Amino acid sequence: MTDTPMLNEWYPVGILTQLTKAGRDTLLMGEAINVACDSLGAPVVSAEDGRTLPVRARYGHVWTSLGSPTKELFDIPEADQPGRRLVDVGVVRVKCSPLRAVENFLDIAHFPFVHTDILGAEPHTEVQRYEVQIREEVDEVWATKVKFYQPQAAKSAAGGITTDYMYRVPAPTVSILYKTCPPRPGEWDVITLFVQPMAEDLCQVWPWMALFDDQTPMTDLIHFQQMIFLQDRSILENQLPRLLPLDPGMEIPTRADMTSVAYRRWLKRHGFTYGAQLVAA
Amino acid sequence: MALSRDVPPQVVIPTFVDGRELAVWRSQSGRIAAWDDRCPHRGMRLSHGFVRGESLSCIYHGWSYNEAGLCQRIPAHPDLVPPEAIRVPTVAAVESDGIIWVASEPASQPPPTLTGLVALRSLTVEAPATAIATAAGMPIDQDGALRPDLAGIACVLLVQPIPGDRTVLHVLVASNASPAAQAAVSRALEDLRRRVESERLAA
Repeated sequence: MTDTPMLNEWYPVGILTQLTKAGRDTLLMGEAINVACDSLGAPVVSAEDGRTLPVRARYGHVWTSLGSPTKELFDIPEADQPGRRLVDVGVVRVKCSPLRAVENFLDIAHFPFVHTDILGAEPHTEVQRYEVQIREEVDEVWATKVKFYQPQAAKSAAGGITTDYMYRVPAPTVSILYKTCPPRPGEWDVITLFVQPMAEDLCQVWPWMALFDDQTPMTDLIHFQQMIFLQDRSILENQLPRLLPLDPGMEIPTRADMTSVAYRRWLKRHGFTYGAQLVAA
Repeated sequence: MALSRDVPPQVVIPTFVDGRELAVWRSQSGRIAAWDDRCPHRGMRLSHGFVRGESLSCIYHGWSYNEAGLCQRIPAHPDLVPPEAIRVPTVAAVESDGIIWVASEPASQPPPTLTGLVALRSLTVEAPATAIATAAGMPIDQDGALRPDLAGIACVLLVQPIPGDRTVLHVLVASNASPAAQAAVSRALEDLRRRVESERLAA
């Protein structure tokens, strides 16, 4: 049975610049949908039973919902900031829970082992204490003051630097990462992970970026991010159980996992359990 | 579950015993071990991990475990002594006559002795063990083995059922079989596999 609170959330289902009138068939939480555009280019999403679903065109992507969203799509103020390059990275299908995909994106401790010599490298493995909170006024999970040593933090980074991070979870299958911007100290690069839940153990990931980087060719920016995510996929498709365990006992967190602990707690509190496992098996 | 020589030092492989997913690995000094194929931290398969010295590390966050399955090091917190509660469930693994044996339940007896034989190869058959026994024209004996003559040479086929109605055969031949005879046995095994699999497809 589809999870009711998650039914009313917004999900990414396509890239705005790639819409066609014939549309593309895909799955959203087990339901077949078609993502198309009308003669003016505006996105149209329809369900198999013919009903037209609500849409939003934002952050390079088409957003829709199978239910009746009670909240407007979350805001990313940086998306409208002059001087940023907006990058539609594309789509990667992953045989994993959509919630595991988000949790992995919130994790830094894996950088030296999964993104070796790019986002991390031994012996620089330590995760310093950082701050995590659920911001009640906006109902979002935030992690701040996250620091990590990176050999090549971004395509625009020349050598190793200690990178500052902030993470934000504004919706159950969305994570937004703010990180040190090598060419523009004082600003943050924005890298997002928009996740389309196709089934409880299958998702499509649509990374999107808003960067200060006038130098790097678009192709290189996309390749860099796709390489990173394909490395993550080799992990995500090999975690057991496939669903994200929300109850303690199945997995053992440490202090470096504070963001993931808060994310799981927030999911459970809201009944966002599509892709989750509630009782330790 | 494998030939000893197919798991050299500092290698980890995935396998199944009684439907349970295991990571089997050999340390630098040659010690063999069989564990649940799951890191207790985030559930990542340990068979994707890496061996350093006498420890197996998870590829996800580098948590490393000693030969008893106890967590020794959490790289995100290098100064932390991991609590003893962080451990990977282990199963018994022994080696004899060039074969690695694993028992998911405590074994009441040691593995069968296979003296005078030499490990030839392993191969996976897309058919259950019963279908292979039928094709070989004999039952699986109390050692979990088939003992047919292949290419005129006495062979022992150790039978390892794996999920998906598949079977791995670990094959031994008389230690005095010449290289040419061993090659003939290998070809006969391929014939046996094709016969079993095509009968299954026809059915």
